[in-house]
Amino acid sequence: MRSRLVVTLLLALLTLPLVPPARAQNALVISVWGGNWKDTVDKVIGKAFTAKTGIPVEYEVGGTIDRLAKARVAKGNPLVDLNFTTTHVARLYISDGLYDKLDMAKLPNSKEIAKEAFRSDFHIGSWAYVYTVVYRPDQVKEDITKWSDLWKPSLKGKIAMPDFDPSHIITIAALMEGGNEVNWQKGEAKLKQLKESVAAFYSTDAQSQDLMKTGQGPVQVMLSVNAYHLQEQGIAVKVVQPTDYPGIVGIDTMGVMAGSKKADAAHQFINLALSKEIQAELVKTLRAGPVNLGATVPANLKGQPGIFSTTAEWKERGYIMNDEARAKNLPGWREWFTANIVKK
Amino acid sequence: MRLLLLPAVVVLAVFAAALGALFRWSVLEFIPGSLQTGGLTLANFRAVLAPQYLGAVRDTIVLSALTTVLTLVCAYPVAYALARTPSRWVRSLILVLTLAPFFTGAIVRTYAWVLVLGNTVVTWPVPMLFTERGVLVGLVHFSMPTMILILAAALSHIDPVYERAAASLGAPPWRVFRRVTLPLSMPGIVSGALIVFAWTLSAFPTPELLGGGKVKMIANVVKDLGLDSFNWPGAAAFAMLALALTLALLTVVGRVSTGRAT
Repeated sequence: MRSRLVVTLLLALLTLPLVPPARAQNALVISVWGGNWKDTVDKVIGKAFTAKTGIPVEYEVGGTIDRLAKARVAKGNPLVDLNFTTTHVARLYISDGLYDKLDMAKLPNSKEIAKEAFRSDFHIGSWAYVYTVVYRPDQVKEDITKWSDLWKPSLKGKIAMPDFDPSHIITIAALMEGGNEVNWQKGEAKLKQLKESVAAFYSTDAQSQDLMKTGQGPVQVMLSVNAYHLQEQGIAVKVVQPTDYPGIVGIDTMGVMAGSKKADAAHQFINLALSKEIQAELVKTLRAGPVNLGATVPANLKGQPGIFSTTAEWKERGYIMNDEARAKNLPGWREWFTANIVKK
Repeated sequence: MRLLLLPAVVVLAVFAAALGALFRWSVLEFIPGSLQTGGLTLANFRAVLAPQYLGAVRDTIVLSALTTVLTLVCAYPVAYALARTPSRWVRSLILVLTLAPFFTGAIVRTYAWVLVLGNTVVTWPVPMLFTERGVLVGLVHFSMPTMILILAAALSHIDPVYERAAASLGAPPWRVFRRVTLPLSMPGIVSGALIVFAWTLSAFPTPELLGGGKVKMIANVVKDLGLDSFNWPGAAAFAMLALALTLALLTVVGRVSTGRAT
């Protein structure tokens, strides 16, 4: 009798992780990064969506790849209805049939958004930012105004950059040598010259901000949103609007999961997220660039790196990589970057 | 009676299924820019034999060996004091100080080392943060509590009468330690060394945070391949390779140290 009880308990414990968390019956479930990202989506879009439609919103939070792995496992019977992810990672969702085509007739607000935010028939931009040069003027004697300043000998041992995705600096080096993300090999030699200048590589946003706070990496190739977040915390960092080549644009996107039973509600959510009012709130809260060209941008953020409010700004002040080329090249880029730049 | 074996069978079946899935992924073709995989291939194993990946394997083995030796050297005196002090107060203090790091969590502890090894608290004569030296310090600190507890358990089983007998026969303290205490504590040394070596082989947060991306151990490379390059077959192949290597190394280390201990 006792052994049967033990077996039952053990089986119950083993199957516990397989049981999906209890959710409200009619809730729209959204997959998004945790921390500030989820809080912002909930505060700015989620609450307004529930107020407007009466549909509650619940969240599945996690890292970019954790959520992708979960989505893959649940293919055909998704645990979430709508997904936020970066534009090139969305390509992986699409290639695996995890997204449904967007029904543009249900997204009237999309008529107001920048054409750069239409990433494919399956995913659409929610906000934008740039990877650019950010530095602490109290730790760096001379002004940094352009990408090429990173190659100055005076910055040796001061630079930090992401190693989880080196596509930004690889593209910039290629652009400097007359190439781009497709024929990136043109920038290889240029990039190798930067090796000795790198103090550290970071693999998360938190690590990047810590390196900046502690002064271990006072010059960084950094996400503009994170830099503005540091400024809010009272860390005096300067976000450079490079004069030689533009910042590398990142676009976070939304997509409706294939097989979602709440595709209509998901479209309503996306449509609301694209509205002028919500976009204006996102700019204020997230300090990211709006995709809706009609969104009001506060005066103190207008013209700042990563905040594009006109068609011309989208075109001139940011470089948008080809999503497909980026998704395909990333493994090769990482391998080359690790072997030639990261390795001692 | 057979029914009692069922939980073990279930647990083992889950482990075997996970390993089986890992093996399956390791022999599937990776298609860049896609989650779809191609047919069966051994290309992933060939790819992870590239110098940069083998370098991570070499660094892992060297760091694990150094961590084991340094942890043993640092932990032994503490364990000895813990096992032999007559004062309950001192014993409690050592125990609290030993166990405290367990309750802070690996990430918090490692972040504390980021501050200490960086030049914010102390100015180091040589760079410590984002170097192998710094990672080694973090790994030794991480392993110390376990080693101390294992050694203290082994030392407390040694009857002090043997040491007193050696001393009464004229052996100086150093010789008593070398000829009596150390050999009798060998089972604890072997167990502690094996455990520390094995878990340092799979260390992740310490090299991730203290290595600043420049020091990569096996687990970091698996994460890089799987989570950053989306190369799940490559990550699985490297993990399989690392698993085989770890088992082989542990077998060798186990045999050598057991031979010494007996």
